[in-house]
Amino acid sequence: MQLSTSEISELIQSRIKNFSASSEAKTQGTVVSVTDGIVRIHGLSNVMSGEMIEFPGNTYGLALNLERDSVGAVIMGDYEHITEGDTCKCTGKILEVPVGPALIGRVVDALGIPIDGKGPIKTKETDKIEKVAPGVIARKSVSEPVQTGLKAVDAMVPIGRGQRELIIGDRQTGKTAVAVDAIINQKGQNMKCIYVAIGQKASTIMNVVRRLEENGAMEYTTVVSASASDSAALQFLAPYSGCTMGEYFRDRGEDALIVYDDLTKQAVAYRQISLLLRRPPGREAYPGDVFYIHSRLLERAARVNEAYVEKFTDGKVKGKTGSLTALPVIETAAGDVSAFVPTNVISITDGQIFLETDLFNAGIRPAMNAGISVSRVGGAAQTKVIKKLGGGVRLALAQYRELAAFAQFASDLDEATRKQLDQGVMFTELMKQSQYSPLSVPQMAVSLYAANNGYLDDVPTNKVLAFEKDLHGFMASKYKKIMDSINSTKDLSEDDAKALAKAIEDFKASSSY
Amino acid sequence: MAEISTIARPYAVAIFKLAKDDKKLNVWSDLLGLLSGLVTNSELKAFLEDTKILDSERETTLMTCVGNIDEHGKNLIKLLIENKRLMIIPYIYDIYEELKATEEGTMEAQIIVAEEPEAAVIKNLVASLEKKFNKKIESNLVIDKSIIGGTKIIVGDTVIDASVRGQLDSLAYSLKS
Repeated sequence: MQLSTSEISELIQSRIKNFSASSEAKTQGTVVSVTDGIVRIHGLSNVMSGEMIEFPGNTYGLALNLERDSVGAVIMGDYEHITEGDTCKCTGKILEVPVGPALIGRVVDALGIPIDGKGPIKTKETDKIEKVAPGVIARKSVSEPVQTGLKAVDAMVPIGRGQRELIIGDRQTGKTAVAVDAIINQKGQNMKCIYVAIGQKASTIMNVVRRLEENGAMEYTTVVSASASDSAALQFLAPYSGCTMGEYFRDRGEDALIVYDDLTKQAVAYRQISLLLRRPPGREAYPGDVFYIHSRLLERAARVNEAYVEKFTDGKVKGKTGSLTALPVIETAAGDVSAFVPTNVISITDGQIFLETDLFNAGIRPAMNAGISVSRVGGAAQTKVIKKLGGGVRLALAQYRELAAFAQFASDLDEATRKQLDQGVMFTELMKQSQYSPLSVPQMAVSLYAANNGYLDDVPTNKVLAFEKDLHGFMASKYKKIMDSINSTKDLSEDDAKALAKAIEDFKASSSY
Repeated sequence: MAEISTIARPYAVAIFKLAKDDKKLNVWSDLLGLLSGLVTNSELKAFLEDTKILDSERETTLMTCVGNIDEHGKNLIKLLIENKRLMIIPYIYDIYEELKATEEGTMEAQIIVAEEPEAAVIKNLVASLEKKFNKKIESNLVIDKSIIGGTKIIVGDTVIDASVRGQLDSLAYSLKS
């Protein structure tokens, strides 16, 4: 027989000492039926919607349907031991999860229970998983950037702290890679990260955790896992749990980034629960409130002002704004963005990053379609230097796409058109970036400056990335001063620009590109 | 599928309204109690549920069993047979009793104890329960050795568990968690 860690005599002693048995009145009900994790209960006349219900065997459920003669509840976890006739009790509580800095570096399930084998989580603080998003008075507009470290994203679809930017695409287009890269790049950026894995294979989740560990990102990251083998209830709840963990930092004047990977599976889990609860199906068999499950979740990602933080912390934190940036992921089927859930989430978020299979297969990674990817609020938050240098990229790529289709019919092209096409090819090549290798702001600035000012025009397309890599190495070793200056000011002064031009010329003179 | 009590409620409400208007709450209560007992009797249940039996035969049998009742009572039996809802009578009875208790401002409390208590204790307990629920309490004493000691009170959906068994269970739970 195995001895559990909770059976240490001091622990038992303190628990017995502190045990207080109160005989308060509780509302009780009887289980009428159990079907696929959905329990119908007779009684429980005072139960609230969303309240936790206690079942025998340390199992909890969530009251979702309050009907005239019965209550429909969804069981969180195993339900095999619950049988007809079992009694269950109201708890008077909404589901809560542990929150706080103790969760950082941990892998937890949707209820905040650690599953990484690193022992219990040492935090006494818990918070409700369903909360109302901050109102208009508490908010502040997005003005600080989140650097994802990806050239294509930071230059063309900048993300601000407190923004909701959707990552959308078919399977196998690198959606998770973009999100994980964004987390990895937050090292030293004073950002806490939460990665919520919903309905993924346990092995995939483990790979992500390993990647995060290898890149030192688990030092500031919490992983909330509701794998494909977890019950639909847990898959549905995981994003809300993760959001509550992120809000802890937002409300205390810190910045947090949360990735929901992915919300399609959450909607599917919710559809399953709703259909089993016999709620009427609507479009694509989703229930009527599938928009609301996503809108209420994503509204909680926000930037809050100093007054809100001060009030929330009772004056302990003054003059600091807090933010929760959300990167929801949506998986489309065969590129169909007009399906129900994708359109919903597109309309809720402040922009989207479209990833396409064709681009991915053509070796353009991240496979972002620059034409239809947008960021509605991030422009105000973009780093000055990237804003200054990145403006041309979007335009060049847009013109390139237009001309590329047109150029297929023309045998003879004029000089201007050919130049634009060449530049488009070069920019497309430059926007490629391998996984787990985020770039810093100065590095990105150097690349963009070189491209904008024609230093890459005479470099063969297949050598653009090698040129870039060597240039970064050269700059780091010989012109560290310029890099430091860009890094500290996040801007490119005229002097720096001149020095940078000279440095690149220097590099070109000494290399064989 | 609708819950059985959802089907039974309109019948119970209709009977209750009729009984209230005629001031025959107790008469109807007795009739429903009797009918409920009849349809749960295994032999009679088998007969009533037999598909080979005609509705008229069912009617005659039930009428004979209940004896001399008024026109309204007869009509109820006919209606239930016509609607094929004889088997929900126990549910109708439960809901009717609930409505009647609410009307009379009474509630039934099941008081579970391990040993027969003194009458004064029960009286005290009932008085405090009446104060808490603001209703007249009709106590129903149950002796159950398995709760070891203390008392457990069930009033409607509300359970006040002050039994030794309940406290041991919650101690066990707190040690396990």
